[in-house]
Amino acid sequence: MKIFLLLLPAMSIIVLLFFGGLLIGLMRSFNYMPVIGLTDPDFSAYVAVFTDREFYLSFMLTFHIAFTSTVISSILAIGAALLLRRSFAGRAIVNFLFQLNLTVPHLVGAIGMLYLFSQSGSFARLAAEWGMITKPSDFPALVFDPYAIGIILQYVWKEIPFIGVIILANMQSIGEDYESVARSLGASKWQTFRYVLLPLIFPGVLSASVMVFAFTFGAYEIPAILGANFPAALPVLAYRKYTDVDLAARPEAMAMAIVIAILSAVMIYFYVRYSRRRVRG
Amino acid sequence: MHQEPVLTRSFRVLTGIVLITWLILPLIPLAIWSFAKGWFFPDILPKTWSLRAWEYAFSDTSGVIDSLWLTIGISLAATVLSILVGVPAGRALGMYKFRGKEAVELMILAPTIVPGIAVVLGIHSVFISMGLNNTVFGVILVHLIPTLPYMVLVMAGIFANYDPAFEAQARSLGASAFKTFWYVTLPAIMPGIIVGGLFAFLVSWSQYILTLLIGGGRVVTLPLLLFNFATSGRNDITGAIGMIYILPGIIILILTAKHLSGRSGAVGGFGQI
Amino acid sequence: MKHALKMALLASTFAWAPIGASADTADGGALIGKPWEEITELAKGGEVNWFLWGGSDNINQYVTEFIGGILKDQYDITLNRVGLSDTVEAVNIVLGEKESGVNDAGSVDMIWINGENFRTMKQGGLAFCGYTETLPNNALVNWDNPAIANDFGVPVEGCEVPWSKAQFAFAYDTARTENPPRSIGELLEWVKANPGEFTYPAPPDFNGSVFVRHVFYHAAGGVDSLLGDFDQAKFDEVSAKTWAILNDLEPYLWREGQTYPASIAAMDQLYANSEVNLTFNYEPAGVGINIDNGTFPPTTQGYGLTDGTIGNTNYTIIPFNSPNKAAAMVLQNVLLSGEAQLQKALPDVWGTKPAIEMDRTSADVQAAFDAIVVHPNVVPAAELAKNALPELQAAWISAIEKGWLENVGQ
Repeated sequence: MKIFLLLLPAMSIIVLLFFGGLLIGLMRSFNYMPVIGLTDPDFSAYVAVFTDREFYLSFMLTFHIAFTSTVISSILAIGAALLLRRSFAGRAIVNFLFQLNLTVPHLVGAIGMLYLFSQSGSFARLAAEWGMITKPSDFPALVFDPYAIGIILQYVWKEIPFIGVIILANMQSIGEDYESVARSLGASKWQTFRYVLLPLIFPGVLSASVMVFAFTFGAYEIPAILGANFPAALPVLAYRKYTDVDLAARPEAMAMAIVIAILSAVMIYFYVRYSRRRVRG
Repeated sequence: MHQEPVLTRSFRVLTGIVLITWLILPLIPLAIWSFAKGWFFPDILPKTWSLRAWEYAFSDTSGVIDSLWLTIGISLAATVLSILVGVPAGRALGMYKFRGKEAVELMILAPTIVPGIAVVLGIHSVFISMGLNNTVFGVILVHLIPTLPYMVLVMAGIFANYDPAFEAQARSLGASAFKTFWYVTLPAIMPGIIVGGLFAFLVSWSQYILTLLIGGGRVVTLPLLLFNFATSGRNDITGAIGMIYILPGIIILILTAKHLSGRSGAVGGFGQI
Repeated sequence: MKHALKMALLASTFAWAPIGASADTADGGALIGKPWEEITELAKGGEVNWFLWGGSDNINQYVTEFIGGILKDQYDITLNRVGLSDTVEAVNIVLGEKESGVNDAGSVDMIWINGENFRTMKQGGLAFCGYTETLPNNALVNWDNPAIANDFGVPVEGCEVPWSKAQFAFAYDTARTENPPRSIGELLEWVKANPGEFTYPAPPDFNGSVFVRHVFYHAAGGVDSLLGDFDQAKFDEVSAKTWAILNDLEPYLWREGQTYPASIAAMDQLYANSEVNLTFNYEPAGVGINIDNGTFPPTTQGYGLTDGTIGNTNYTIIPFNSPNKAAAMVLQNVLLSGEAQLQKALPDVWGTKPAIEMDRTSADVQAAFDAIVVHPNVVPAAELAKNALPELQAAWISAIEKGWLENVGQ
């Protein structure tokens, strides 16, 4: 009973808002909404979504963005955490910037990346100054590009500190005793890391990277600022459909939202299973 | 600790420098743009400097300052609500074993796994019929979806290492339930509340699409203003609003930074999934 | 800090109330034909939420300070300017409200609008109609002009009020380009001779779409055969030619046409930084404003095409479910006034062309209007008007946009 009362407020919010929203979206995606006179559910919205070539291109692009960003940021975050747990000159500054970066909203980061990496951005200007390029089009296309490099750079920038802070906290609570033991038993630095430290910090890395994956798979404003016009990331596509003045596109947007939810959950399931096996095996 | 070889140490320092540069890099052009008037390729620095963007940002017309307070208000409200609701839930999940616990955990974590855009479209149509769309309260409510899981996660981590024996002692010495909570429980879980609250605040602070849809353009938070100017090519004003937008987060970080690192274990709650 | 606390408190405690509930004038029918004094009396003390594109500081300033000032001082009405990234967002809000049965407590009181968005509003029954005669300043509007009485071919029929006129124009940098192409035919040659220096925003971007229509007119050999109702056979014939031209052009575009800028603002940035060497806009006065605010190099020069450019009128509309219709009508009346239209025409304010007949305004306003010196880098409206092309009907436009996405964009 006590547990029930403790959980009640949080569960009500999650169930009503989150699952409620999901349910309404689901009903709407089947064109079923008795309140506004839609009583004959059908699959037309899903048919429309799954027969649209852009949907598949968008899905592949979004998956590529989320997967690549998550893997790169996780690996670099582990490296950064290893660096930051030792003391060295300037560690305090890096530590502070690390946390500072956590507070900077993605939207600001995306705009900053645009100014840095566009073909006439800061790096292109430096390249021109040093005589490496003569005109903007000589500079590689890193934003609005088909490989979403700008988007991935933004996520990597923003997520290294997020994952890193969590790993650092884990490392500190674990301490260095296990590693000292391993080293004294003759394990190399790499072996100590691979077989002692990594499995210990792994749960933290995994849950942080799951959050990163889900976020990068579902974020709207970053691909909207840095992404190519076609194909657009799935959330951008869903939002475009939702704000289409043709009301018929709304169930399609809902269907796409449901597909995003399912895909995101399924991919995370496999991601967790696979990476657990890799690290423990 | 044995002495590190010079090579290793200089490698460390070098990587540290690269990391520092990388972390602040995207903010630099933003800051320069806010003082620039016309800054074209291939100029490394603007030829003309100007305070125009800042004047506009601080003018009544732009609404930036009103929007700053509104955004702070919304994020604080979402944070406080997350704390009020998340602390009990974290206690239940961190301290007790019960049937269906895994299902409850999964449900609470679901919003961190399922992207917001997938739920907000459905919520939007419900809120319209409830009259909650275009209201500040509606926006605060919808911000709870992404903020609450962070709060519960952190608190579950804290309560997992929490010893309820102290509470029992206080009660047996005659302290009221409220006094026990205030003098015993609260100080013990404070680091978690601070870290969870910080995350909740930051998550709410950076919401764009949830606010845009539920607020219907009427609840104008800073990211909405920023997006308007960023997509209209006014890089100077974008730069100024961007600088204003990141300031509160930095202030809050300075106030709470010591809890983020250190051995409080609050952040460690994220290892719970 | 005190202010902060106050706002935070406000945000959390009064959050239940929809922002700004005021004197309810949702019943538009009751307002039609009422004496103007009664309408201003009803509107007094209320507010009006005007949704319009918010990405231009000078337009924002004109609306909030000049128009908002008049409303406050003379009518005691509070103007809330709601900035949008895209007008369709506002149309979508009204649409969603209608679907959910919100028929008299909508959140949008007025939208800056034209073209397809207007068609959606009118055909979807989302507009408040039939009231324009009630506005005193309606007398300044020349409804006999078909370019005013029809919004992209859709008869206005009292469902919106004109605000400004605009005509498409190109712009180039005299420091970079000596002889810019001066017709669509020349442009197509020029792009091939100067690979990578041209692009256009992907439709349905408003300006990208109108550029494609210029090519469409060119492919049809003139606009005359396209006027009137949508003609599928004609469309098939001309569009096939248009897509062939545009696909043929693609390898010579910016980034070999593999991607297109998503918006005109993105393309303006490309132009400003020499990534491309031409830009264009439906609002020719933007060149002057953009030079003054540092978005464009000062050597930018606007110009028209010898084979003509498309002109249109933009309007303001009141949604059917606006609860503040009286205040919105007062706002529209203020916008139509000679003083407001004059202010808007000043080159350092906005420089856009009035939608009213200036010779119907007071002598003072006329004199001031005649004395306006156009920004030297902006192509004068009168010069552009010599070669003006009409807009097609909205059905043509959606077909062209859809066709472009399927045949060129993907």
